[in-house]
Amino acid sequence: MKFLTTNFVKCSIKTCDATTESFPLKYTNCELIQSSQDFNPDFILSMLDRLDWSALVKVAQDLGNSALPPVKPEGEMLNDVNLLQDLHTLLLETCITEGEMTCQHCGHIYYIKNSIPNFLLPPHLA
Amino acid sequence: MSYPTPSTSHLSFDQIYEPSEDTFLILDTLESEQSYILSHFPNKLPIFLEVGTGSGVITTFTHHNILKDALFLTTDLNPHACQAVKQTSSNNGGTKFLDSTQMSLASGMRDHLIDILVFNPPYVPDEIVPDVPQSDDAYEWLDLALLGGADGMVVTNVLLDDLHRIMSKEGIVYILFCARNKPELAVKRLQSLGWYGIKVGERRTGEGLTVYRFTRCA
Ligand SMILES: C[S@@+](CC[C@H](N)C(=O)[O-])C[C@H]1O[C@@H](n2cnc3c(N)ncnc32)[C@H](O)[C@@H]1O
Ligand SMILES: [Zn+2]
Repeated sequence: MKFLTTNFVKCSIKTCDATTESFPLKYTNCELIQSSQDFNPDFILSMLDRLDWSALVKVAQDLGNSALPPVKPEGEMLNDVNLLQDLHTLLLETCITEGEMTCQHCGHIYYIKNSIPNFLLPPHLA
Repeated sequence: MSYPTPSTSHLSFDQIYEPSEDTFLILDTLESEQSYILSHFPNKLPIFLEVGTGSGVITTFTHHNILKDALFLTTDLNPHACQAVKQTSSNNGGTKFLDSTQMSLASGMRDHLIDILVFNPPYVPDEIVPDVPQSDDAYEWLDLALLGGADGMVVTNVLLDDLHRIMSKEGIVYILFCARNKPELAVKRLQSLGWYGIKVGERRTGEGLTVYRFTRCA
């Protein structure tokens, strides 16, 4: 699971849908690998629009990275190639291979195994 | 069809749905929809979701031929499919961003995230929708690809009822039906939920397969 995907997924239990705590999930016991990919600054820039920045900062902290700017970069900051390169490394090259994702609303724990996050629910919750 | 179908020679189809007539109808439809799709999101990087990705051929075809600049996500209940889509994508040249999740429909996707959704569902009418097998080795994974309960619509209906939550404001949804699914009824029902449906793909022979496009009513 790529780091970027943590910005797209939430608890899959229906009654958590409308709550703010069900996104982002809390990431613990994660194993990470880096897998290199071509750096494309324009792609990173267009991706920025699609990000929930505060969720990104939270998950990065869960995974031990507190280097992100607290608010979404804009204006002049976007000319900073180093920043874009760092975002590229974090969002696209960092993969979570194993780990746990916990909903902060209902406490349900989801697992990541072999790089695939599993959001299936036991039948009584589905 | 002028665009090539992605290669799946790396896969075995004991536990993953083999691309079939329905799959190819979706590929043809996406090809004829290409200019509509491209003109729909002039100012944003679209997020594409394939629900029930199977071999991943549709997602791979899309990032290869239809929509090069997008973020690609997939879901499937079947763990073998979740691995297969990544292989199919990378064996065919890869894309800038693709990630695969094991998920029922789009139940774990953030609200109003998805711009383009494609679903080739288990559409065959049957008494039941099979339970999710408890072991990865089970052969019942293939049953999940086919059987759709009453009218073959039980699984599709759950997704249709969640569209307003899943899709972005300008979101586009493509869903495959067979004649026995009674797609006209689904179109009517969705209209009452604020969605406009139109047939954009069809095979007149065999199961009477169609693809409908749904967008929010203005
Ligand atoms: C007809 S096959 C289509 C596979 C592939 N998209 C294609 O067109 O070749 C249906 C797929 O949906 C998956 N599926 C069935 N129920 C699902 C659900 N509730 N959530 C996600 N995927 C599901 C099956 O495992 C299967 O891979
Ligand atoms: Zn929850």
